Amino acid sequence: MKSIAVETIESDQWLTRNELLKQAGAQLLALTAFRGNRLEIHWLLPDGNVTAGALNWNGSGFPSLSPYLPEVAWDEREIHDLFGYVPKGHPDLRPLIRTPRWPAGFYPLNDDSRLRPIWVDMEPDNPAKTVEGDGVTIMKVGPTHAGVIESGHFVFSIMGENILHLDLHLFQNHRGVEKSLEGLSTEEVPPLVTRICGADTVSHQTNWAMAVEQLAGHQAPETRCWERIVLLESERVLSHLNDLAQIPAGVGFQVAHQRALAMKEQWQRGLLTLFGHRLLFDTVRPGWSAKGDSDSFLALVRAMMRDWHPWRSMVEGHHGFHDRMNGVGLVRRDDAERFGAVGVAARATGLAFDARTLMPLYQNVSVKPVTGGAGDVAARFKVRLQEVEDSWRILQAALDHLREASDGPPWTPPQDLAGETVSYSESPHGLNVHVVALEEGRIRRYHVRPATFRNWPLVALATAGNAVGDFPLINKSFELCYSCSDR
Amino acid sequence: MHRQAKSLQLRHLDAGSCNGCEQELTALTSRYYDMQQFGLDLVASPRHADALVVTGPVTDTMKEPLRKTWNAVPRPKRLVAFGDCAAGCGVFQEAYASHGGVAAAFEAPDLVIPGCPPQPADVLKQIRRLQTGDEKPSAPNP
Ligand code: SF4
Repeated sequence: MKSIAVETIESDQWLTRNELLKQAGAQLLALTAFRGNRLEIHWLLPDGNVTAGALNWNGSGFPSLSPYLPEVAWDEREIHDLFGYVPKGHPDLRPLIRTPRWPAGFYPLNDDSRLRPIWVDMEPDNPAKTVEGDGVTIMKVGPTHAGVIESGHFVFSIMGENILHLDLHLFQNHRGVEKSLEGLSTEEVPPLVTRICGADTVSHQTNWAMAVEQLAGHQAPETRCWERIVLLESERVLSHLNDLAQIPAGVGFQVAHQRALAMKEQWQRGLLTLFGHRLLFDTVRPGWSAKGDSDSFLALVRAMMRDWHPWRSMVEGHHGFHDRMNGVGLVRRDDAERFGAVGVAARATGLAFDARTLMPLYQNVSVKPVTGGAGDVAARFKVRLQEVEDSWRILQAALDHLREASDGPPWTPPQDLAGETVSYSESPHGLNVHVVALEEGRIRRYHVRPATFRNWPLVALATAGNAVGDFPLINKSFELCYSCSDR
Repeated sequence: MHRQAKSLQLRHLDAGSCNGCEQELTALTSRYYDMQQFGLDLVASPRHADALVVTGPVTDTMKEPLRKTWNAVPRPKRLVAFGDCAAGCGVFQEAYASHGGVAAAFEAPDLVIPGCPPQPADVLKQIRRLQTGDEKPSAPNP
């Protein structure tokens, strides 16, 4: 059994060690709390190796990293909410997930009890951070919205048309997924992991499968690797088509919106025929992945391209559309770096990080991170355009490999699997990480750190300084899923 | 020519969904389904709605907003549970911050559309039953 080695770090070394890793260009995978006053931190080094450190303490709290590594500010707030551990020196310890409805002393992840709490009869709103002064208006939006989108609450401080500050109040969709996974056997986990998020589901499923296989020391046969690449890339195309349809909708470019929605539908119908599900739910689990017929799939990809190319020329040639996107919702590259941004949002600022370049699963595939440049809505749109085409190229290569390949021998994980590991993949939204601890074949701790969680603070940064009317466009250009982040 | 007897305006509310149900609800607006030809539309305000379409198992934080949104819909009105989570048979019914579906959290829906997520063609068929008035709460998936 192959757990990842975790080195214990003294509390006076906690900050320096982690700061050094950040300076060396490592990417934060996850900061995970465990019962019994313990934190673990996983970093992905530029050479693809993972390094892990642990901190144990007595008493109520641990030294906060947030003043020096702002990217963990939300992680530490989450730990404070769900475990009751206090990050000492944290600059903003307002509740992130908890609401005034949570009973005092209810720390769901720090407790074995399965009982539902007795909720306090109060409104769920938490205190907001706003700008004060003459002429400043506070505008609250949500948690329910005018369109078909997920729930989230936004508190804007505005002056006239201009946004001075956006305070995000998310986690309305917090169900308690991590706790629900505790105690489950390896066969019981997949249906839940699949449904953490409808947009990044294959990535979540693959992370679970890889975590179990790593722990068992099982090397997935080549065929299965190609099958998983096919599913991951199919999901990327699906999600990017969705986002590419929504961005034009944000500026009223209906033709582009409708034609992209139609391409998405065509893709989903193909996926339903090939894999039995329009969103690829339940297609990957340890020792197994769904397999579609290669020739029909190749025919689908070719059919898609016939619609794609004229659509791409139309959107690229529309000056009015580009005028609306250029310079809007800017993320600066150094901010992206500082906040550990991932995925399209990071690459659109010029950061060349794509987890596929380091994933062992993709070792036989050449992936070149698509970098955009300006960090605005236009850049995020363009990065997705190119990534869809790259995914089709990868799909064609993978399907060619699969055409001749025979199925590997079936494999099921041992009943008594134990240990701790971390797995990661590049979901359509970016680096998606799972930290998994198993004991006698059952989940002891499951922590999910999706890409959207890392990127939400950037949405707030990118919004300040823009017009209120552009917020829907900026938000759509990130198109961050809420449920992944809220869990 | 196709003539539409009754229109039906829908307001959507996410009460803890995984986003899968939202994607399929949005698909109804594409030209493949074109819900508007049947007099169906998604509206921005509950004040303009004839029916409230709820997705997700009803998380605790969305319980109050759900009640307020429902109260803002003028009568006569219909409550729709969209997808297994809202129907009370999804995978997160037992999660600590979930109230286990629309019926358990709030009140019995007029129409239950099972599926994880339901497929758009089926959704269209089911929602149209509200227009003809022959809705009976259908049994959720086992
Ligand atoms: S019913 Fe399925 S698709 Fe819909 S919100 Fe629940 S898990 Fe997601």
